[in-house]
Amino acid sequence: MPESFILGLSSGSSCLLTCGMVIFPYLMARSAGTRRIITDLSLFLLTRFLVYFLLATLSFYFGKAIFTSPVFRNYISGILYIIFSGMLIWYAIRRSRKPGCPARIVETVNNRKLVPVLLGIVNSLGFCPALLLILTKSSAEGTIVQSYLAFLGFFAGTALYFIPLPLAGKIRKKKVFETIGVMATGLAGIIFMIKGITSLTGGFIYG
Amino acid sequence: MDENINNQSMRKSFGKSLLYTLPMFLLTFVLMTGGRPDFSDRHGTIALLITFVGLNILYFLMHYTGKTDKLRAVLFIVFALTLSFTLIKNMVDIRQTMTYSQGDILECNMPFCHLVIPMLILPAAFTQSIIYPGSILGGFASISAMVVLWLGASVILGRGFCSWGCFYGGWDDGFSRFRKRPVIRKIGDSWKWMPFAVLLMVALTSALALTPTYCDWICPFKAVTEFEEVTGIESAAKAGIFISLFGGLVVVLPILTRKRIQCSFLCPLGAINTLSNKVSPFTVKIDRQLCNDCLKCVQVCPVFALTKDDVKKGNVSIFCTKCGKCIDACPKQAIHYGIAGVPASRMVKFSRNIFLFVSFLFMAIFASGSIITVVKSFVNLFI
Repeated sequence: MPESFILGLSSGSSCLLTCGMVIFPYLMARSAGTRRIITDLSLFLLTRFLVYFLLATLSFYFGKAIFTSPVFRNYISGILYIIFSGMLIWYAIRRSRKPGCPARIVETVNNRKLVPVLLGIVNSLGFCPALLLILTKSSAEGTIVQSYLAFLGFFAGTALYFIPLPLAGKIRKKKVFETIGVMATGLAGIIFMIKGITSLTGGFIYG
Repeated sequence: MDENINNQSMRKSFGKSLLYTLPMFLLTFVLMTGGRPDFSDRHGTIALLITFVGLNILYFLMHYTGKTDKLRAVLFIVFALTLSFTLIKNMVDIRQTMTYSQGDILECNMPFCHLVIPMLILPAAFTQSIIYPGSILGGFASISAMVVLWLGASVILGRGFCSWGCFYGGWDDGFSRFRKRPVIRKIGDSWKWMPFAVLLMVALTSALALTPTYCDWICPFKAVTEFEEVTGIESAAKAGIFISLFGGLVVVLPILTRKRIQCSFLCPLGAINTLSNKVSPFTVKIDRQLCNDCLKCVQVCPVFALTKDDVKKGNVSIFCTKCGKCIDACPKQAIHYGIAGVPASRMVKFSRNIFLFVSFLFMAIFASGSIITVVKSFVNLFI
């Protein structure tokens, strides 16, 4: 669970950098006050939670059939960690952070009550190495409860960034927080890069 | 006590400097001997006297010359070198090697250092346990002693701890003085927020993994203290990381930039100490009336605590380690030590005298143990 939480936390920061500009206006723009934002945000998070719950169940049962060898899983995990770390480092170092988020799809939806639910689904299913990593990890767990816990940690890590959303307007020194967030994302990328290489070389040597 | 420093130097006459050194002379003697001088060990006595005299000469010179930074740096660098020597000597005496094994971790035989403190807070709050495999009260460097020392020093000195108390800071401070002029001059100002990102990552990962991840994976000072025995790919990766970080951030970049790069861009404790500058009674102040905007202070500041905007506003940022380099470099004596709440240019000499007394006494007492050990080793060699 700690590893899943860290994965979620790292993926959450890059997710926020790309999708934040799409998600935030939709959750906040037509809302009337903090209460409305909290309702929409709860709906958004609940949808994500349910999607992850479903993914945990599916990955546990289907993963066992796909990843028959632990060495093969080690390779896949190592490669995914390296891709994910590369993505995080790229987010941290690139100059312009124009949103390229799959959640843009909701721009075509007119029913505003459906928006938080749709955003929740798209955001949690968005193709991301971190999600693939957690799917790989979940499939390797011994019991379904452990698989749920892995996804719970991932959900908690990613959700942490959305909780202060209703207070976003009141935060001072946003630039400083953004700088620290970008740097933390880059550091997380370096950590996962080392983990990926260690996992991959470990797999080659001991596999 | 109100005074204006215009055309005033911090220099004192010989007699006055001696008078100012007298309280330090007495206090260091009492604290270094524990109040009960024992001269039965000849070599120990010689080492004690050399250290005692050396420390007091440095303090005397701070008053006599009116300069702070270079004299502080002498003791700060000697402190870092002698502490590493003492620590390695201890490890070799106990374990016959600089490396530690899983057995040492299980037996809680690891000496504690202040850099671990940011990683202890969250696990201690949530699990009521200390995640570091060291001794709480006894042993060579106990957790409680280090935490109390750091806490006391940080409340009083603020981030001044990084220039007057940290036994690692002397390493990159020393290397940053190797060249007369920097090779790399342009460094982005936003990098100074990096320690906060490191702090965020190590505090969270330590809380979740319940291991001190900074010590485990990142700390560059393992190169001059102790490190994990290389037994596999993971421990080899860790060794590669700390050696690269020590070489890059403590040796090469400080030489090329004349800045304390490790302290400025990596140290997670530095981030906490930066915040402690908010509560410290001691500050560094800029007198805008005397300042001629030459920006020499910005150029010499080793920790990126001063920018052009800061100088224009007459503010020193919370990143300041109170090393005194900008004060010594200022041609107009517009920068000085101050006391929080007292306007710039007021109580200048008083503030300096009080700050120097407190900070030097702390460093002298903290450093004296390891200096005496090293001097004694030399005395044993030659006599």
